[in-house]
Amino acid sequence: MTRTASEWLDRIRHIDLPERVKIMNVCGGHERSISSAGIRGALPDQVELIPGPGCPVCICPEEDVYEAIHIALGEDVTLVTFGDMLRVPVNVPRREIRSLEQAKAAGADIRPIASPIEARAIALQNPDRDVVFFAAGFETTMAPVAAMLCEGVPDNLYVLLSGRLTWPAVAMLLESGDPGFDALIAPGHVSTVMGPEEWEFVVNDHQLPAAVSGFTSESLLAGMYSVLRQLTDGTPFLDNCYPDVVRPQGNRNARKHLDQAFEVYDATWRGIGIIPGSGYGLREAFASNDARVRYPGYSDESRKRVGEMPQGCDCASVVLGKIYPNQCRIYGIACTPRSPVGPCMVSEEGACRIWWASGVRDQDVA
Amino acid sequence: MCLAIPMKVMEVDGFEARCEAKGVERQVNLFMMQDETLETGDFVMVHVGYAIQKVTPQEAQSAWELFDQVLEAMDR
Ligand code: SF4
Ligand code: SF4
Repeated sequence: MTRTASEWLDRIRHIDLPERVKIMNVCGGHERSISSAGIRGALPDQVELIPGPGCPVCICPEEDVYEAIHIALGEDVTLVTFGDMLRVPVNVPRREIRSLEQAKAAGADIRPIASPIEARAIALQNPDRDVVFFAAGFETTMAPVAAMLCEGVPDNLYVLLSGRLTWPAVAMLLESGDPGFDALIAPGHVSTVMGPEEWEFVVNDHQLPAAVSGFTSESLLAGMYSVLRQLTDGTPFLDNCYPDVVRPQGNRNARKHLDQAFEVYDATWRGIGIIPGSGYGLREAFASNDARVRYPGYSDESRKRVGEMPQGCDCASVVLGKIYPNQCRIYGIACTPRSPVGPCMVSEEGACRIWWASGVRDQDVA
Repeated sequence: MCLAIPMKVMEVDGFEARCEAKGVERQVNLFMMQDETLETGDFVMVHVGYAIQKVTPQEAQSAWELFDQVLEAMDR
């Protein structure tokens, strides 16, 4: 990474670009860097950067959030979860409790945590009380949850798992026949854990350019330069523009823990539906720490049909990269970070929240 | 939510380490670093309290600069 951001931009400007090129990123962290560094505005007009499914909070199934809310309300437990999950709304009639934050206000013992270490510590401090750890996340976050389980947890800690794998969502978009992008910037920290090889299918099966990038402007622009060159040269390959951190095979030890603790199943993504092989579930060996085994009455099959995005919200299209955040019908009108309607405005890595934070105030509804 | 930040290892004790970033100290879990040898002065990328990878001092430095920018933007 010897070139500066402006050198990369210069090189990009010298490429003989086609009329339109859409590059998708699938990582909220990338989107944040792109927005805060103003990379969109600095690129040639032909290049569009579209945020795709990059935030585990946004796509966490509605029925899982509902399940967490009702375990916390209905049982004598402490429920801990990553802070971003607290404000995610479920679809219920106006007067009913619609988020973990509201359940907490109604008296449920719900605590935001920043690490699985805290979940374990809270369980150790309260040996006579069940502690339910509602854990949503992509591979990067699931690996620490798996490590926590493999290292050993107290008997009174129960994991309510809502883990997802990122690459199957991209595979689904590519297989749909209308992916809506011409090149992919693959996520840096997912690849740190899983290895860049996971993304080879983009190149091998779909002949699309791809590059793994880090989070600095230099690394992101290096990735963009790479995919644009691959595109114009007609020689797609998987480039690694974050080699200091993303090593071949990723972190094998982390992957070993993931494999030991979790099995992969066909899982629901909020607003999208079922994506094959995209969910982590606890293995049989960890059933004694599985919140769904301990509290089976709270998973409501009928919610899977209601489990859509809130009314009037276009999050599903935003998540799939079909529209930009400010093309949502209620962006900045009914939906703002202060009173979010959809999950993409709640999560710090939600595309809508990021666009709002970086100053996009105007709607762009066609 | 997958963001990891670089921290400097101050002291290793089994699967735990005391790490520092910008004057803030944290306990960091090393359970996923069993294939690496870590010593005082090394840098690791930390996500939700767990080290996920060892990194070079240069990478740590450029990541910190980035976080200053991003945090500033998110505070707006
Ligand atoms: S503006 Fe709000 S409702 Fe619209 S897509 Fe974004 S989060 Fe969803
Ligand atoms: S829009 Fe929301 S779900 Fe989609 S990638 Fe961005 S943050 Fe994630």
